[in-house]
Amino acid sequence: MKLSPENPLSAEPEIETAHVEEFVEQLRCVTDTLPSRINIDAHSVEQGLAKLVLTLIEFIRRLLEKQAVRRMEGGELSPEQIEELGLALMRLEAKLQELKTQFGLADEDLNLDLGPVGRLI
Amino acid sequence: MKLYLYCLLEGIAQLDQLPQGISNAPVRLLPIDDLAVLVSDVDKDAVAVTRETALAHAAVVRSVLDRTTPLPFRFGTLVSEEQLRSYLSTRKPALENNLRLVRGCVEMGVKIIWSISNNDPHEQQLSDEKQGAGARFLEEKRREILGDERRSAQATEISGWLHESIGELIRDEHVAVRPSEKLVLTAAHLVERNKIRQYREKIAEARASRPDLHFLMSGPWPPYTFANIELEFKTRFGVS
Amino acid sequence: MIIEDWESTDLSLLETLDHVLNRGLVIAGEVTISVADIDLIYLGLNVMVSSVETAHKVLRKRQTK
Repeated sequence: MKLSPENPLSAEPEIETAHVEEFVEQLRCVTDTLPSRINIDAHSVEQGLAKLVLTLIEFIRRLLEKQAVRRMEGGELSPEQIEELGLALMRLEAKLQELKTQFGLADEDLNLDLGPVGRLI
Repeated sequence: MKLYLYCLLEGIAQLDQLPQGISNAPVRLLPIDDLAVLVSDVDKDAVAVTRETALAHAAVVRSVLDRTTPLPFRFGTLVSEEQLRSYLSTRKPALENNLRLVRGCVEMGVKIIWSISNNDPHEQQLSDEKQGAGARFLEEKRREILGDERRSAQATEISGWLHESIGELIRDEHVAVRPSEKLVLTAAHLVERNKIRQYREKIAEARASRPDLHFLMSGPWPPYTFANIELEFKTRFGVS
Repeated sequence: MIIEDWESTDLSLLETLDHVLNRGLVIAGEVTISVADIDLIYLGLNVMVSSVETAHKVLRKRQTK
């Protein structure tokens, strides 16, 4: 972009890409997951708490899955243990899915923005 | 009556030709000590996020970019004048430091996504009929986790490569690596005005050398990503 | 801030939103809770600005009684 009187810095920023649709899809989550940080009526406080709790459970659930996989790879588990562990984690995943639906939360809703540390999930 | 805040400026006596602000409210320059804030008087408790209001906010902030580099406020900052003055006086050193850091610069943005869905077909395993549902579940998770780790490593590599490509041309950067399905990373670069052309050339070169990635470049922006100052206070737990 | 339901496929608008909604100076109480020098929880308390003002009003009223 040439800087000139006709094209000053105060002109609208240029957006340049050869893949508009793909980036639109990615950026949609900006509006799709706007945190309801200013809405303080009772319903959104409830929603906000549900989100927080489910996000933390989801985080722990994923840690448990990773742990289980690591132990399985490490050969520490018998086939029976693997099966049991797998079934339990499967049920946990399904249960959490149920809870998300109950509260009307999508996968993208469950994430904590930890500021400088990044996102939780 | 509240003030809607657009951006913070280093002392400027006056500004001409300010665009219309949120809901067509006029925009004025409010000097406070040796700083100044662009504001609109708004008689509301909250501002709705709409296409019009978001664009109006952005237009006001960038209108000063030719004359100075502002610290933009986040959209929706609605406060009383007292709150504003209190905020400015308590955070003056940090804000002045930030103004100094962004002085003479603009923000350029780069977003990168994978060009092909990053699923390695080699990872597909034949399903073992003898495996129970639980074991299959864990096997699937194992593949997912391996994929995640691989993508994470690649994203880190790409981030390093990007930095090497333009590192010399930027004053500061803010990079978020997000090896999710599609997005690799989002980067904001603080670039001095007289280096914008070089920066764009370098980026174009870098982009051409990586056909495996898709790029989005945007800018110049006022330094939104570099505006926020250090967090005010910390509460420590006694764990070390 | 009231968030309304809407869709957009306009890339430049989405980019603008990404900048004005997610970044920029925040006037708020900001709290970091850190453990062993690692910032764990970062709370942007935008709501606090008006709540604190209300609290002050209540306190002032009480003091003048």
